[in-house]
Amino acid sequence: MTVNLENLRELLLRVEKPSRYTGGEFGAPALRPSAFDFCMCFPDLYEVGMSNLGIKIVAESILERGYTADFCFTPYKDFGSGLKELGVPLYSLGLKKPLKEFDMLGFSMQFELSYTNMLYMLDLAGIPLLRKERENGNYPLIAIGGPCAVNPEPVADFVDIVFIGDGESVDADVADLYVKHGKATKEFFDEIIKLDGVYVPALSNKVRKALINDLDGAIFPERFTVPNCESVHDRAVIEVMRGCYRGCRFCQAGFIYRPVRPRSAETLTKQACSLIANTGYDEVSLNSLSTGDYPSLRGLIKSLKNSLPDGVTLALPSLRADSFDGEFAQDARRVSLTFAPEAGTQRLRDVINKDITEDEIIKAAESAFDIGYSAVKLYFMLGLPTETDEDLEGIGRICSIIKYCYKKKKRNKPLRISVSCSTFIPKPFTPFQWERLSTQDEIKSKQEKLIASLRGKGVTLNWSDGFTAKLEAVLARGDRNIGKVIELAYKNGCIFDGWDKELNKDGWKKAFEESGISPDEYIRERDENEILPWDFIDIGVTKEFLLSERRKAYAGIVTGNCQNSCKGCGLQKQCSSAGGKK
Amino acid sequence: MISFRHTKTDGAEYLSHLDLLRHIDRTLKRARIAVKTSEGFHPHPKIFMNNPLGLGIKSIAEYCAVETDFNGDFKKAFNENSPNGIKCLDFKTVDREPNFAHTIERCGYSAEWNAPFDTEEFLNRSKIVVTDKRGRTLDVRPRIYSLELKDGTLSFTLGCGENNLRPDLFCEILQNEYGGKAGNITKISAYGKYTF
Repeated sequence: MTVNLENLRELLLRVEKPSRYTGGEFGAPALRPSAFDFCMCFPDLYEVGMSNLGIKIVAESILERGYTADFCFTPYKDFGSGLKELGVPLYSLGLKKPLKEFDMLGFSMQFELSYTNMLYMLDLAGIPLLRKERENGNYPLIAIGGPCAVNPEPVADFVDIVFIGDGESVDADVADLYVKHGKATKEFFDEIIKLDGVYVPALSNKVRKALINDLDGAIFPERFTVPNCESVHDRAVIEVMRGCYRGCRFCQAGFIYRPVRPRSAETLTKQACSLIANTGYDEVSLNSLSTGDYPSLRGLIKSLKNSLPDGVTLALPSLRADSFDGEFAQDARRVSLTFAPEAGTQRLRDVINKDITEDEIIKAAESAFDIGYSAVKLYFMLGLPTETDEDLEGIGRICSIIKYCYKKKKRNKPLRISVSCSTFIPKPFTPFQWERLSTQDEIKSKQEKLIASLRGKGVTLNWSDGFTAKLEAVLARGDRNIGKVIELAYKNGCIFDGWDKELNKDGWKKAFEESGISPDEYIRERDENEILPWDFIDIGVTKEFLLSERRKAYAGIVTGNCQNSCKGCGLQKQCSSAGGKK
Repeated sequence: MISFRHTKTDGAEYLSHLDLLRHIDRTLKRARIAVKTSEGFHPHPKIFMNNPLGLGIKSIAEYCAVETDFNGDFKKAFNENSPNGIKCLDFKTVDREPNFAHTIERCGYSAEWNAPFDTEEFLNRSKIVVTDKRGRTLDVRPRIYSLELKDGTLSFTLGCGENNLRPDLFCEILQNEYGGKAGNITKISAYGKYTF
């Protein structure tokens, strides 16, 4: 059965951006049902999901083995409720096939606040939310992957399979085994848990993350599906490396994506050229956690410049904006620099191992101002361990210094500074995984102090909502009991929790009450001897290393970049910069 | 300069005007049809489209002109690189920018229609006054050029450009008057000095 768009005509004309739901994009692969029909599901809107590189890689890996990989994104409420009223189940974009008829749905969980969107999609698809309710029915396997999968326990009761780590081959390996067994039999599950990166909540197996050593030879799509309506990052993306040398102690991505694996300039150039030719985009984004650290960035840029057609611009990291002036035409429209000092004083930056000094920021800003930049975006975090009022005041100080640098010379445009201040959230597999979250009152008073200290400085300040931070913290470090809260919250009407204007605080508060679970139990400081809900996962980085990093944080000792000397995080054998695998 | 006629069907009828422009731009890039850009600090590709079509209305008569020296088979190159619903039907090399947004004066449409009525009586009226959402009234009769109903298909010609009347709005006028429902509204032709 397929869904006929003609029958949805009136609904499509009533909703915002109907082209989100029609498919038929240029570059979308021609699909037909196969031995294993997979639908890559993204728990956010089309525009957001279409910008995600990970789901393109996973889909490519499935297609490469001759199977079908379709896509589905969360419909906005207008379309979602329209489908419900019409009794039309949520369908995939390519085949227009109801999600219920696929063999597996793979949800890419990018952040915790999209958990309810996964339930929304299952619900719209007519699929029972809980695994045990699906047991005797003919339903697709529900899988998740992505960064949230490193602590899957909060969603463990909803899903059949969790993919942890690199998705380049393990997802497709599971597809092969599904085909071998004909369906999701007991033997199938017994066999897939032997693979690295596969966790089956029903079996509660121990698992080591899937790791691709040779990123250069790893699968990467030659073409992107060009979205119907403009996506949030509507450009070609190449992943210059995976992992990050820096090891900032709050940063989950910096630990779970270890070791650092750069791609060669040759491969990247080939990938960029093929994407540009196949999509018609005029911009290439050099993605990674810290592109400025790519070992031979200058060489890569030169190679890209020599091979890409004229008029194609590159999105380059801000800290190095000055280094390439004249060598490569930066996008003329780019006037804004972005820095993430994360903390207002050197002391606190040492605590979090954020290896960036005020001098570096000032130097980079000054030379960028000299070549015409006139706006600065600064990212900070509030509520970090050991933070004092002095650290908050430091944020204002950095703004003043940047202003001073700008005013030293006569410039044509007025300077714009914007400061974004998020709340520190302790995340699994970081040295700060044991820390407590600031209380709502603390967050509020810190935000007020910050607002007061920046008043009159001509700085635009954005800050995040305290309740959102609390919710994210609970979901990030939650255990299996939290699943009940998520389910109740969804039933109370919570979806799109990551959007300030959609967040339904009452729905969540009610869900905590109804389940009898206190969120405060989850945001407290964890004892170092406590067994953490995600301890059964071997992410590669050892707990001893995380603990030693925590100790060093409190002692204010910087560990620094691991590009030049190995810090012994536990992945030495897999890490080329540590002298392990090449 | 190349002027061409293209479709907006097969799902492309749900694209906004701006998204359509983006798709034409990218199609030309993929087809390696070099389009000249405007001078200045923010160069824009010189792509000139006709007036925006209302969302959801299909068309086999969209007109567009691009500034280019390309002299190969434009239709083939374009269609090999365009999305399903945006296909070139015909093209012409022209000397000057046809300014379709201004030079197209009338457009022909078709729609499925299930409530028979006397089209002649409708056309014989000297005035057809509509009130918009802001309460302003307007006589749209001068913007209606023809109207026929045959075998459940409505064919009509409406003004375009300065004299514009949206086909979906026109169908709504008929619906309000005669009941029934217009379906599958499609723009089938455009009339102007430079159309073909």
